Amino acid sequence: MLLLLLRHRLNFMMNIRCFQRSFSAASLAPLQLPSPMETHLWYILPNEVKNASLLNQYLEILSPCEKENVFRMRGDQLQRRALLARALVRTTIARYQTNSQVEPRSLKFKKNIYGKPEVEWQDVDGSHLPPLHFNISHTSSIIACGVTVNSAIGIDVEEKQRKLKNNILAFARRYFSPYEVGLLTAISDPEFQRQEFIKLWTLKEAYVKALGRGFSAAPFKTFTIRFRTATQGHLSERRDSKAFDVVVDSFDDPKNLTSNWQFALLELAGSHYAAICIEGDRTTEGNGTRPMKLTVRRTIPFVEDECVSGTDAVVAIVGLT
Amino acid sequence: MATCSATSVNFGASLKPCFNNNRTDGTSALNMVRVVWTKNVYPSLRTSRFNVCCAAKPETVQKVCEIVKKQLALSDETELTPESKFAALGADSLDTVEIVMGLEEEFDISVEEESSQNITTVQEAADLIEKLVQKKEG
Repeated sequence: MLLLLLRHRLNFMMNIRCFQRSFSAASLAPLQLPSPMETHLWYILPNEVKNASLLNQYLEILSPCEKENVFRMRGDQLQRRALLARALVRTTIARYQTNSQVEPRSLKFKKNIYGKPEVEWQDVDGSHLPPLHFNISHTSSIIACGVTVNSAIGIDVEEKQRKLKNNILAFARRYFSPYEVGLLTAISDPEFQRQEFIKLWTLKEAYVKALGRGFSAAPFKTFTIRFRTATQGHLSERRDSKAFDVVVDSFDDPKNLTSNWQFALLELAGSHYAAICIEGDRTTEGNGTRPMKLTVRRTIPFVEDECVSGTDAVVAIVGLT
Repeated sequence: MATCSATSVNFGASLKPCFNNNRTDGTSALNMVRVVWTKNVYPSLRTSRFNVCCAAKPETVQKVCEIVKKQLALSDETELTPESKFAALGADSLDTVEIVMGLEEEFDISVEEESSQNITTVQEAADLIEKLVQKKEG
């Protein structure tokens, strides 16, 4: 049994200011909403969160269905990961409700026709609720949640060291577009090729998750991710990230305003690649080539936040200032 | 929903591993699965799946289990059942796609991406494989 039945009220305060930590009353400190075209990225490092009574607190805010899903996972590690993912989503979204205090456990979720989770807003008193969008992704060592206002969002995180069981080019030929296969084939160093593959995968995943369709409904062969620069290049960290811009070409749906999707790719917490895709604002001029405005925070819900933008924990690769 | 959860816990606990090489009575492990199901589960919403649960050959199911174990780096002792969900074993989307690719190579079939959302358990993978193999040979 993962969690003790101990009921222990912890007195911690959410810290909303960067680089400071303090402790006081036990409620989730509210957050200011992201502005339009701004993205907030939150992440938990599961290895930092093992305290049984804290995990119990998280369990208490889950719905009955979510709790069942947690316990269906095989083994403590996977259960903890599933628990932290739901706790991150509920606590983060609850904190953005600045009009009135929303209990994390009172949030309701639904799925779109492709299975993408969304908040089911309950307009109880007729007040205008913020159109928050979120998307999560996790690996064994990080759980991330991206939040926007007014834009669809998709995120994907992968461990930098991740290795495919299959041959990379065979995999790419099977699932990626010809352009992308060409890009990967041109890389002779196997380690570099593997890294570029992972980056490409995260960008493609982030896109289909932003679309709300996922891999099955938006097969990876039906669109190309490419890097728009003066010279064709690879996704090197050593290059000036401002010189790159990620765009997507969709074959199935050329009329789809694919220039409305904005991408960012970064190294997160030193250990992961993270890709973010948000829907651009169609009313603005230009085609989304402005760098994404992103704020990244490491968090332990009910305990602490730490703004890590501008630190080593966030290294821009493409699409960010 | 609660019932599904309860039965899936019981289910897992009472089943022998996916493919038991030590059986001497001539019945396959898969038949045993079927017996347990009829005793312990009230009709699930997915009754159509119940009807085809024994369509896939035990060898197919076992091969799927091997490929899944390899992809997810599970130990040989890990008990997999036909109802084992890939996600519950820790598979993410890239793992699932790699599993599907492994199955395509093993069985010389082609799985459309649209179908991959239906491959969430060992049984579903085995059923789809059998369907595609039969289609090929038919």
